Amino acid sequence: MAAGEHSHEGMWVFPAPEAVTQDMAEKAEAMPKAIARALAVTGILFALGIAGFVMRALDDGFGAHGPWGYYAAIFMFLFMVTGAAPLAAVAFRFTKSHWRRPLSRVSELFALLGVLNVIMFIPLMIVLPSIKNPEVGVEELEIRRSIWFETPIGAPLAWDFLGLLFLAICSLAILWLSAMPDMAEGRLTATGFRRKLYSLLAGRWYGTKRQWILHKVGLGLLGAFYFMLLVFVQFTVASDYAMSLVAGWKDSIFPPLFTLTSFQSSLGLILVTLFIMRRWGGYEQYIGVSPFWSASKILLGLTLLWAYHTFAFLITFWYGRLEIEQNVLKYFFFEAYGGAFAANLFFSFILPFLILLWNPVRKTDWGPTLAGLSALCGAFIFNLKTFVGAFNAGDVYAIFFEFIPGPTWPDLWDVFMVVGGLGAAAFIYLAATRLFPILSVWETKEGAKYQKMDTLVRGRYLVLAKPE
Amino acid sequence: MQEGRVLPSRQINADLLRSILNSPKWFWISVAFLAFFVLAAFSTAGFLINRGYGVTGLNNQVLWGFFITNFVFWIGISHAGVMLSAILRLSKAEWRRPATRAAEVLTVFSLMTAMLMPLIHTGRPWRTLYWIYTLPFVPYDFARGIWPNVRSPLVWDPSAVYTYLTSSILFVIIALLPDFAVLRDRTTGLSHRIYSVLAMGWQGNARQWKLQIIAGVLLSALILPVFVSVHSIVSWDFGMAVSIKSWHSTIFAPYFVVGAVHSGVSAVVFVMILLRWAYGWQDYIRLEHIDALGRLLVVVATGWFYFFVMEILFGFYGMESDELAVRNMQFMEQPWNILMFFFVGLTYFLPVGLWLTRSWRRNLWLMSIACISVNIGMWLERFLIFVPAQARKQVFTFNWYTYAPSIVEIMIIVGTFAMVTMLMLLLSRVVPLIPLYDIKEGDILKTQVQIGRRTVPATFRED
Repeated sequence: MAAGEHSHEGMWVFPAPEAVTQDMAEKAEAMPKAIARALAVTGILFALGIAGFVMRALDDGFGAHGPWGYYAAIFMFLFMVTGAAPLAAVAFRFTKSHWRRPLSRVSELFALLGVLNVIMFIPLMIVLPSIKNPEVGVEELEIRRSIWFETPIGAPLAWDFLGLLFLAICSLAILWLSAMPDMAEGRLTATGFRRKLYSLLAGRWYGTKRQWILHKVGLGLLGAFYFMLLVFVQFTVASDYAMSLVAGWKDSIFPPLFTLTSFQSSLGLILVTLFIMRRWGGYEQYIGVSPFWSASKILLGLTLLWAYHTFAFLITFWYGRLEIEQNVLKYFFFEAYGGAFAANLFFSFILPFLILLWNPVRKTDWGPTLAGLSALCGAFIFNLKTFVGAFNAGDVYAIFFEFIPGPTWPDLWDVFMVVGGLGAAAFIYLAATRLFPILSVWETKEGAKYQKMDTLVRGRYLVLAKPE
Repeated sequence: MQEGRVLPSRQINADLLRSILNSPKWFWISVAFLAFFVLAAFSTAGFLINRGYGVTGLNNQVLWGFFITNFVFWIGISHAGVMLSAILRLSKAEWRRPATRAAEVLTVFSLMTAMLMPLIHTGRPWRTLYWIYTLPFVPYDFARGIWPNVRSPLVWDPSAVYTYLTSSILFVIIALLPDFAVLRDRTTGLSHRIYSVLAMGWQGNARQWKLQIIAGVLLSALILPVFVSVHSIVSWDFGMAVSIKSWHSTIFAPYFVVGAVHSGVSAVVFVMILLRWAYGWQDYIRLEHIDALGRLLVVVATGWFYFFVMEILFGFYGMESDELAVRNMQFMEQPWNILMFFFVGLTYFLPVGLWLTRSWRRNLWLMSIACISVNIGMWLERFLIFVPAQARKQVFTFNWYTYAPSIVEIMIIVGTFAMVTMLMLLLSRVVPLIPLYDIKEGDILKTQVQIGRRTVPATFRED
């Protein structure tokens, strides 16, 4: 048990470095009842999801993409949120923000869900209609509009799949490299299976100066590569599975908006996870209010940027008055999925904005968490609206989107697949927390050395060291 | 990352007020040299107004050329002020301190210069008064009922720019109050009286400091939406036009804003390097500051490049023949394709290549080259967005045309660059371009932490 030396009204915590390793090992090995119950519940949901998937395949097959809209939506939601989550560790490490330390490993652990994303993507490869029109009808295009134009080798499926695969590999490499010092320390104290796993993952880490330099450089390079790859894959996958399925929808801001929603919701997810750990996981002495406060400002910025990008899209289409643009607006924003857009706007912008506007609320652990949860809900609705809508927008080879269909409501198998996807993600993450320490031990220890309270004139203030 | 030493308050005053209290020899020579170009530009504008638009390269197809390109360019430069000052102030970045004042002042002057461009572009600038009044307090369009479209982006534009100009001036003045008081206490005669008025009774007591800090934070937060809206609205001057292909793009607003920040911050870095060299401010504008700005610029430039790729890619995405004609002109026809090559190289690949290495970011010559390169590139970017699209806007190919600027336009454009530089120089004679109180505050907050055998630089945090 790490005894906190003293705290600054709960904002900053100062864990004792010497006790962190032992405490983390104990926490990872313990299996509290709440966790066991959560694993059971999410496991059942996971099984329901598999059942829903099998039933959907039996009922509709893989010939048409329309019935797979909800599956695509839940895949996109999981990919959107979990794909961007490891970036929080990368970005805030890059900016040398001290407050990041408690959330580094929390965000990196989402890398494990990259494997789930790759597996879930496979059925979507089968249902995606070919870019080249197999039977060119009246007023149809020979090649539907897509970001691949004349379809280079394997496009779009091979490129999308390879992108997702490399993304998963890269995020796992970040997790492994980042956790290596912790594994090396953990192999001394862990027993049984964990000891073998930690020894394997720690490799030949002894903490020499050269190893630390390589560790830092490696994390920097992998992080930069991951960031660029993520943005690229989000662009290809979101364009292929939304915009290019709606005839004539040409919208250059959609990929940036997708990426922005992903940054906002993944930060929201990290805050929710951090809150659970602090409130009920026994990590209060490691997680102060400071990470919530600092992250809340970034979340506020992302929320405003989300509204700005959405507005930039809406006003350009609304003002343009082109028929295709009006139809896209009617379908996704005002008529067929008008309710979904209103909910999306409320959860992604209005509610988090109203919460995060107030500094006293931002300076709590629950305020930013609530805003984060709202952003997560908003992102979920964003994906439902966009991908269910795109999968059911009619003839993908038509010259333009002429007839506006009604909304597509979910059936039982869709509901199973959606809750199953969420359950699977939660199950894998929870299981991962039983294997690996959820707090980055080396960063926590490093942070404890870099921060202290000191006197300036007549007040006691926090001092933050910046070695570089 | 603190490399500078803590200087005594007296020395900070002496060093940073040097530009005001002791004018160097080169100062008036430089001002005279720049004033020559400014006068030449104003004379040329007079000639243009006298002779009419025939003396420019503009024609029936390409109505928006150098002037509008230059207008958007200077609006873009103005974004540096808020980016550096407001955002970095809110995020409590320590390295912002020497850069904020120059950035804010550059904002004000570039906005003023920018607004001259549409004025000259009208051809009959006195008629712009009708946009505001015919009868006392009655706007022209409402009085006559003949310009009913107040929803036009061309109406939003001046509203946004003037709001930004007003708030930027306010922002500069609020930040200047403590420094005006220092100047008041160190001058005599007329200067003393003027600084006394400008200092607004500043005594530096706790209540005044508290109010000044609150005002600064509030203005920082309030000015941010204005800053974003200005360039967004400028982009919508073009983006709302459906008939001109390649302009009607949903990404235009954020693309323009990021581009503006890119060029604006680069311009501020160049100004800082010039100030450091001209006034010997090596202790204040240190290599660590330039390095930090260089790292920020790598991120901004990469963000800009992403938006650029999206804009181009989705230009081709629709496969519409009229838009493809514009893209063909941009990428395949000379000299536009050569300009396009230089634009991308100068805006992204050359500067980012120079910013990737720490030692290069700390080489002031290379940083200057990189920052100038960005601004040449960003100017070209606007030119390449506006001109080819207009040259190919007609349905029939026999109506397609091109554009080449005349000497009149070139002289006026050169004059705007001379004007902003001259105004910056002149202002450095009356206000310190590095905020004294900000530097002193930064020094007070500096401390050290002992870790093992190493002494690590540290900072006090007030929250």
